[in-house]
Amino acid sequence: MKKFAWVAAIALMLVALLAVGPAAAKSLVVAVDSPPRMMNPHGDDSDAGLSYMANFFDGLLQRKGAGGKLVPALAVKWEHPDALSWKFYLRKGVTFHNGNPFTAADVKFSFERLGNPEVSEFLNTGKQISAVEVLDDHTVVIKTSEPIPWFANNMHQIFIMDKESTEARDSGEVQNRPIGTGAYKLEEWVKGSYVRLVANEDYWEGAPAIKNVEIRPITEASTRFAALVSGQAEIVTGVPVELYEPVVNNAKLEVVSRPARRSIFLALGNKAEDPWSDIRVRKAMYMAINEEEIIEKVMRGHATPAAQIPDPPTIGYNADLKRLSYDPDMAKKLLTEAGYPNGFEVTLTGPNDRYVQDEKICEAVAKYLAKVGIKVNLDVKPKSIFFPEVADGVLDFYLIGWFDGTYDMGRTYFKIAHSRDAEKGFGGLNGAAYSNAELDKLLESTAKILDTEKRKETLQRLNKMAMDEQIVWIPLHYQEDLYAIQKNKGISFDPRPDRWMVYKEISK
Amino acid sequence: MLTYIIRRLLQGVIVLLAVSLICFVIFRYMGDPVLTLAGRYATQEQIQEVRESLGLDQPTYVQYVRFLWNAAHGNFGKSYVSRLPALGLILERFPATFELATCAILISLVFGVGLGVVVALRPYAWHSRAIMAGSLGGISMPTFLTGILLIMIFAVYVGILPPFGRGKTVDLGFWRTGLLTADGIRHLILPAITLSTYQLAVLLRLTRAGMREVLAEEYIKTAWAKGLSPVTVIVKHALRNVLIPVVTMAGLQFGELIAFAIVTETIFQWPGMGNLLLTSIYETDQPVIVTYIMLASVIIISINILVDIFYAVLNPKIRYD
Repeated sequence: MKKFAWVAAIALMLVALLAVGPAAAKSLVVAVDSPPRMMNPHGDDSDAGLSYMANFFDGLLQRKGAGGKLVPALAVKWEHPDALSWKFYLRKGVTFHNGNPFTAADVKFSFERLGNPEVSEFLNTGKQISAVEVLDDHTVVIKTSEPIPWFANNMHQIFIMDKESTEARDSGEVQNRPIGTGAYKLEEWVKGSYVRLVANEDYWEGAPAIKNVEIRPITEASTRFAALVSGQAEIVTGVPVELYEPVVNNAKLEVVSRPARRSIFLALGNKAEDPWSDIRVRKAMYMAINEEEIIEKVMRGHATPAAQIPDPPTIGYNADLKRLSYDPDMAKKLLTEAGYPNGFEVTLTGPNDRYVQDEKICEAVAKYLAKVGIKVNLDVKPKSIFFPEVADGVLDFYLIGWFDGTYDMGRTYFKIAHSRDAEKGFGGLNGAAYSNAELDKLLESTAKILDTEKRKETLQRLNKMAMDEQIVWIPLHYQEDLYAIQKNKGISFDPRPDRWMVYKEISK
Repeated sequence: MLTYIIRRLLQGVIVLLAVSLICFVIFRYMGDPVLTLAGRYATQEQIQEVRESLGLDQPTYVQYVRFLWNAAHGNFGKSYVSRLPALGLILERFPATFELATCAILISLVFGVGLGVVVALRPYAWHSRAIMAGSLGGISMPTFLTGILLIMIFAVYVGILPPFGRGKTVDLGFWRTGLLTADGIRHLILPAITLSTYQLAVLLRLTRAGMREVLAEEYIKTAWAKGLSPVTVIVKHALRNVLIPVVTMAGLQFGELIAFAIVTETIFQWPGMGNLLLTSIYETDQPVIVTYIMLASVIIISINILVDIFYAVLNPKIRYD
């Protein structure tokens, strides 16, 4: 009898263990692919980090929803009186999570903080600001040291902090507890486990629909998938292409996909002694790569072919550009013409933990080039080792991806296409030290063009020169962002182009 | 005994110095944290400014001596990524790892020793053969495979256990525990089993070998002949003598489980120290990695010394000179 009692007790305990109920309504559980690094909105400029911060903080401007249109946020309107000045009229009656009113002093404080390397990864923006003038409590003028045509375009990424509480609290507190004006307040952050958000009922845009959000960072893709299938998460970001089929075939789940802004491309140097400084060789390498097959086999259909680096909404995108067709015979002919009938050797470098299927793409490229006689030595490595090499400009031929958060290619071209010039700060990520005086000149001339139409035209011309005439890069494809959601929960979710998860835009 | 302990402690300090030196040399080739810290659009000049503000422009030996000096004062530096003290970040994660490792070692001890005894008693029975075959699988199966299989079976197909995380935890102020809630215990089951599999198999094989040897001894036959109950003979006379090497082994393994539960923690998104270490490696967060490795060395060295001492207590014939 005693023995039976024990067995019964254990059985009951097991049943109790298994019967813990699901979470309450009007709340959302999301499994994301990267954990937050900190709660300091200026300390992490990655989109993964900004994705968290956009819920706690507001910028002067914001980009709304799936369209990514630039609209007012903490500033109600903005003006650009001269090349170096940006005037913002601030919203009245906004308060921070701690009750402090939002004023021009907070804007001044936040922008000055950007230049401090101790707390900011937006050094580049911070150092370009020469002064922040407070005209009255709700008007500020930000002066830059040189003309920055895309300055306002970036204002959705620069979040405004509360001056008083940021100065009063010690730095550890500031890194751990965000105090912003955003739609959500931080309820609890247990590092490695979850971040819980609770709605800010006094939000200036009106309180958000979902009252409680629990974000669970799960770095391992298969575990993230398991979380979704077992009903532990309602939205999952970063569905890997290998797991696309099981998600689609699961009746309870729905895949939400959207073309990503990021393009993947191959950068190629042009030192005079290298075979690939010859335009015919560059063209041959371009034509030897079967991009259709890469998309079908390596990306499993989740990518669209690219003919250039910028995506359609970006200033500088040129709709006239077309991909060179895949033609290995023509490639061979061009190589022979250039004096390399038997090909040559080249090292292809790339990251293996950064982009979707990055390593596999490199392998595929190596095989295609081998078919036309070019011997490719693969050198694929973790991003923490790869990117410093790009920054040092020591590579010949490498795979990289890019998109510009400002929707203006000017800044990006200075970074990846301009000749390396440490003094002026140009070409910092031009990893193969590509150099073309004509292109540099045209690019430098765009820095002073503020008129959008004229910028568009010049940057499109530059884009055409880079892709058509010089083949600075060999474009491959635009990635696709894949999300999965629970079907029958009534979740309405339209992903943003920048991959940020902004919960005030999601309803249930 | 006292001289022995002092000598072991001194050796421990030398090992720690060697470990820290190796860490520093390796980090020269592990990537450049400054690049991310300055931001994507930073110019070369701005990158240099960040490098100087972190003291990373100094030669390696200067950085190393500065690190030793600070470490001797209990300051292991701030994480480059979160800009919080590295030691605090790691210790915050310690309870999760400790609870996981403790449960895993308990599972291995109970089942490893228990099954080892069962197998040793009737080595040729079919169930013994099955257990031994299973233990071979336990030793050879990599942890990540065990973990993913368990998640697929129990979380995805059967759906009775959660696939990741720690579940509901209770914060005791200095220690966040998952052992006090039913949800926390449910979350613990799969990762603890995954982590224990290998150790379980090792302990099982060790117990079996020891038991078979001891069961053939004359004094066991005498015990049976005296008409003692099987429990007394097996547990009191045989198992006790087998346990010394088993406990030693389990102790050593415990240190390793705490320090290197990285794979299991990553698969189950267990918010422990191993998980933090992996994230830090991806982000080239050197202060956290160095502090972690130093802490792991301290734990393993301490457990080694404790096991040595314990061994001498268990078996007074052993002398350390």
